[in-house]
Amino acid sequence: MITAFELGLIYAIMALGVYLTFRILNFPDLTVDGSFTSGAATAAILITNEVDPFLATAAAFVVGSLAGMITGLLHTKGNINGLLAGILTMIGLYSINLRIMDGANVPLLGQDTVISMMRGFTGVGWTSVAVLAAVALIFKLIMDWYLQTDNGLALRATGDNEQMISSFAVSTDRQKIIGLMLSNGLVGVAGAVVAQHQGFADIGMGIGLILVGLASVIVGQAIFGSRSVIQATLAVILGAVVYRLAIQLALNVGLNPNDMKLMSAVLVVAALLLPQWKGFSKLSLRRKSSSPLAEAAAPLTTSDAHLSKTSAEKGA
Amino acid sequence: MLNIDSVSKTFFPHTVNERRALVNVNLELKEGDFVTVIGSNGAGKSTLLNTVAGRIHQDTGVVSLDGTDVSRLKEHQRAAKVGRVFQDPMAGTAPNLSIEENLSLADRRGRPRGLSRGVTKAKRDRFAEALKQLELGLEGRLKTKVGLLSGGQRQALSLLMATYSDPRVLLLDEHTAALDPQRAELVTRLTRSVVEDKGLTTLMVTHNMVQALEVGNRLIMMHEGRIILDVGAEQKAQMTPQDLLAEFGKLKGAVVDDKTLLQ
Repeated sequence: MITAFELGLIYAIMALGVYLTFRILNFPDLTVDGSFTSGAATAAILITNEVDPFLATAAAFVVGSLAGMITGLLHTKGNINGLLAGILTMIGLYSINLRIMDGANVPLLGQDTVISMMRGFTGVGWTSVAVLAAVALIFKLIMDWYLQTDNGLALRATGDNEQMISSFAVSTDRQKIIGLMLSNGLVGVAGAVVAQHQGFADIGMGIGLILVGLASVIVGQAIFGSRSVIQATLAVILGAVVYRLAIQLALNVGLNPNDMKLMSAVLVVAALLLPQWKGFSKLSLRRKSSSPLAEAAAPLTTSDAHLSKTSAEKGA
Repeated sequence: MLNIDSVSKTFFPHTVNERRALVNVNLELKEGDFVTVIGSNGAGKSTLLNTVAGRIHQDTGVVSLDGTDVSRLKEHQRAAKVGRVFQDPMAGTAPNLSIEENLSLADRRGRPRGLSRGVTKAKRDRFAEALKQLELGLEGRLKTKVGLLSGGQRQALSLLMATYSDPRVLLLDEHTAALDPQRAELVTRLTRSVVEDKGLTTLMVTHNMVQALEVGNRLIMMHEGRIILDVGAEQKAQMTPQDLLAEFGKLKGAVVDDKTLLQ
């Protein structure tokens, strides 16, 4: 249980990154599957080469944001569809990650890592959970602050109304690249910390990660709301923890760990389909607002789905 | 100060759908000119505005602003000096951002957007002061998300935002057409007062002939990509909508649509 909380809080950093692209920029970014592993690989290889683990984790941020920059350039300057741009970078990164690690995995046994250093103070228990919660909270506060700055406002407007913000002299291309860099930087950091937590970096550790991120954001915002940025980022962190606890619970009742990816996919599909179901929209109508789940999932459904939903609401 | 020099634009060239939206258009606006643009559908009014804004790039000709050729600049680069209000009231504001955040975005037009706080106490007071002019009570709802406002309120806010940081040129693209008569009246009134107060050089496309005659100090009529009538302040003051309709009548093949007649 402690491990689930710890992992949830580490993955929360990744979920904040996914929130930035998926919710703020309205851009489902698949780069994260690759940049997560890149961050882990970079940090692991640096740590085994006696680099300070904090510095190695910071390097993971840089490598992650470079990956984000490539996706951003492909999408904005190359006019490649956003989903495809992310997939291209993700696939390319697979080879790069193998190069970074010079193999399929890098063990960190016996090395000083940020996690082993933390354990030196806290051991394994609620104190270590509290420390990781504080770390996740710091990332949240930095993001809250950034999204209130002039640049952060321009980023939010880019995701909200591109036509409007370019008429106020903002380069939406530039803002998208900035957003993708920040997002993948955070994902890289999360990858680095996860590698240090589990004691190795592995080429497969990022596979399907985008679903974990999306599930955290959608579930978190559906349960805890997303009225303001401050509330939304908190919801994302809690969502990541809830998701990890749900996985832990499923494993405890005897689910085969090999089925985990299928579980994540089914969870996200359910989150996307539920709001379109007529009975569900009746339920949310009764609460006199569009359902938070529908809102959280909105960027991932096609506009037709919204239409059918609105007409369903009218019919009800 | 705004010079449109021999500008042409053809859509879908060399196809059956070829459409010459602008044909060798020449137009010069002096500092403080307020020009209304009328014409039937497809006359090239919106293309003209989009060419000035940089959303559409002309095939030939030069657009220059304050003596500088801006033809190659992208939309967001020109926007440092060009303010716009769109026909769609939803287009000019960011719905998920609050009123004060939207105004803060407008406030930074043409200046670098760094990591200083977007909305400060001092700015908030300035925004509230500016919102009072709209007489919509928005100054008390600074933290309300813009998406919750009505179309008329959003369009009034769009106008305030587009003019907030004193652009060199203001482009209005049928910005009252999607509003009910009362709201359209309000936005027209606000437009006149803000353009007058700030002495903005303005290009306003409208379908409404009465509005085109009442507002501004110059009127141009477009047809099939050309400017076919250019009327100065004195002559414009004497004209009636009937005179304009008569001008339309002279055109071979020009169809005055119902919407125009009804107004």
